[in-house]
Amino acid sequence: MAQDLDSLPDDAFRLVVREWVEANYPPDIRNPLKRLHWDECKSWYFLLAEKGWLCPGWPKDYGGMGLSPGKQLIMLDEFERHGCARTIDQGVLMVGPLLIAHGTEEQKAFFLPKVLTGEHVWCQGYSEPNAGSDLASLRTVAERDGDEYVINGQKIWTSMAMDANWIYVLARTDRKAKKQEGIGFFLVPMNMPGITVRPLLTLDLNEEFAETFFDDVRVPASALVGLPNKGWSMAKALLGFERIFVGSPKQSAYALARLRDLAERMGVADDPDFQAVAMRHQQDVDDLTDLYEVYVEQVRQGEVPGPDVSMLKVYQTELYQRITETMLEVAGEHSGMLEPMEGNRALNPAGLFLQSRPSTIYSGTNEIQRNILSKNVLELPG
Amino acid sequence: MTTAEDRSESLRMIRDSAAGIAPRTSDLKRIRALRFTEPGFDRSVWREMCEMGWLGLLVPEDNGGSGLGVQEFCALTEELGASLIPEPLIAGALAARLLPPDQLAEVLSGERIVLPAWQEKPLSLDLAAGGTVFTNGTVTGKKIFIPMAAGADAFLITVPGGCALVERQAAGVHLDCQTTQDGGNQGTLTLENAPAMFIAGDVSDAFETSIMATSAYLLGAMDRVFGMTMDYLKTREQFGRKIGSFQALQHRSADLKIQVSLARATVNAAAKTQDDSTDPATRKAAVSRAKARASDAASVVTRGCIQLHGGIGYTDAADPGLFLRKMMVLAPAYGSAALHRARFRDLAPAGDED
Ligand SMILES: Cc1cc2nc3c(=O)[nH]c(=O)nc-3n(C[C@H](O)[C@H](O)[C@H](O)COP(=O)(O)OP(=O)(O)OC[C@H]3O[C@@H](n4cnc5c(N)ncnc54)[C@H](O)[C@@H]3O)c2cc1C
Repeated sequence: MAQDLDSLPDDAFRLVVREWVEANYPPDIRNPLKRLHWDECKSWYFLLAEKGWLCPGWPKDYGGMGLSPGKQLIMLDEFERHGCARTIDQGVLMVGPLLIAHGTEEQKAFFLPKVLTGEHVWCQGYSEPNAGSDLASLRTVAERDGDEYVINGQKIWTSMAMDANWIYVLARTDRKAKKQEGIGFFLVPMNMPGITVRPLLTLDLNEEFAETFFDDVRVPASALVGLPNKGWSMAKALLGFERIFVGSPKQSAYALARLRDLAERMGVADDPDFQAVAMRHQQDVDDLTDLYEVYVEQVRQGEVPGPDVSMLKVYQTELYQRITETMLEVAGEHSGMLEPMEGNRALNPAGLFLQSRPSTIYSGTNEIQRNILSKNVLELPG
Repeated sequence: MTTAEDRSESLRMIRDSAAGIAPRTSDLKRIRALRFTEPGFDRSVWREMCEMGWLGLLVPEDNGGSGLGVQEFCALTEELGASLIPEPLIAGALAARLLPPDQLAEVLSGERIVLPAWQEKPLSLDLAAGGTVFTNGTVTGKKIFIPMAAGADAFLITVPGGCALVERQAAGVHLDCQTTQDGGNQGTLTLENAPAMFIAGDVSDAFETSIMATSAYLLGAMDRVFGMTMDYLKTREQFGRKIGSFQALQHRSADLKIQVSLARATVNAAAKTQDDSTDPATRKAAVSRAKARASDAASVVTRGCIQLHGGIGYTDAADPGLFLRKMMVLAPAYGSAALHRARFRDLAPAGDED
């Protein structure tokens, strides 16, 4: 099955994905109002798992589809186009690729199948209260004690920690080494004694992330991936695909479609002022799509995008936000309401406005992305 | 005519008196606790505000008010905005200015809460769009987006030629309240031959004051959240430095400061125009310019403050979000920025064109 898919021309492949999604995606969770919890999105996760489409990027030997990066993006594209919910995908996107590259045979044999079945649901324990943009200054420690590590510290903004049963953690293994060099990468079950999760409400009033505390959490030495001082470089290498992912124009295109629905409902769709604004957004989306294609092509050719890929993240997230700001203008007083207009999920200006806010904060804030662009791409002094 | 000195003294006194109920340093605990409750504000605080004379600030002294000007009222609502006070003082004061003297005592004392209901369509400043009419002692029609309607004892409904006073509990009155992003509520009022008392008069002047007062409230809110954010930039450290030392954030902060200052200058000038000018077009044009700026600047500033906070800015527990959500409700209230720019275009003196 998967062999056939990879050898299909892109257009034919896109059609196969589209038809299957349209026929099978659970309609009740289409275009969800908020990021879904495990109970709400697992039907989709299991559907993908059963079809063998859960892990497009993993090699076939490990139960993935072994798809080329270009085809993976097409799949993503089709899922977003249909309004498919994001699953709790850290196992698929981060843990799998990490273990395939750096894990031991035992680690791969134990963990990969459990991601594929949904038995393990993962969350990411990187950020700490005092280590956000400056992640390398993290202070959670993992101290070697015989054939165990003892983890102490606190993580924060851990997305879906309340739903996950495993967490991957960056923790300091060597306090004397240079910032980036004394960090290890650990795989920890959430039900360990000493782990406490305290959910946090987002601005959008969703319990979407949490504080995660580690108090003398003992894990076997086999919880470490790779070398005890190589966690940082392994984690960085995982970010390349993420940068393209957050730069996908689909998020903006989705918001623009909702803006048009809203304009229709508010009776201004034919208003020349509205059309001028909508046209500007449309062109921004189209031009971003062209730029995105440049990077997709790189990936298709097997190249690893350079630091300039940060342009996609900056432009996409800010365009997304601009479009939701126009939504507030068009919605007028409705933009102050807590619930979508007329209970219609497609008419949710306030919700989209709020949900677009963190996109310029997570995955490296846009200020940090601009620093990368000016330093590593433009090579400006300082 | 008051002198400039008298005026600044009276504005200072108003600000000082506001500090009793709405201190700029308040921790916003009371505001958080009232969110998403019914009616969304505290009647005992309302009574205190009335005792301070705030509801009747613009009501003539002969009628039991303080007879002060728009500048004083805006100074007060700016302070309320800085503390995100949920009690519907701006709306209540609008009604108080329109009620006849014999209806005022209970209202000014805070015993009875009368809130205005003027709007019939979204994005409209039309006080009597024609959908709500008074005939034979009853009123019929529909009004929407009534601020804090869940706490009203009676409504003052705008109709052609004046207002109609309707008891909330009266026959033919149906109130449906929707929760707003700031944790308050807005009502949709459906009236079917509801018994009402007609009050003839022109609503528009009092209405203009409400637009001004809302602009000042937004000014107070944006100024406070901006101040909080500057404090955060001076304390939060990343990369071994205060984040306020990063030039990217310094420039962003400077841009936000420009917005706050523009809003302050425009709102103050427009409030003065209300007290000094008698030309309706000049007065209205100034109001529209103030509300357009205040709405836009509040949006830019509250959004910017979330970004400057990083992850913590996207939590409900952090205060900047409270200001952002208040902005979402008040930026469009009493006319959005776009609506007021359009009205300004229609009203601006011809000389402003070139
Ligand atoms: C919705 C959401 C989900 C998240 N999920 C996860 C998760 O699952 N796991 C996880 O580990 N983390 C997660 N995060 C955390 C995210 O990675 C951090 O919020 C982000 O890295 C910023 O760190 P901070 O919040 O500490 O902000 P800070 O780093 O304190 O930033 C505050 C402000 O300072 C600016 N700033 C900082 N340094 C510089 C500089 N050098 N130059 C210019 N400006 C600078 C920032 O851009 C920002 O405007 C999530 C965040 C959000 C909002």
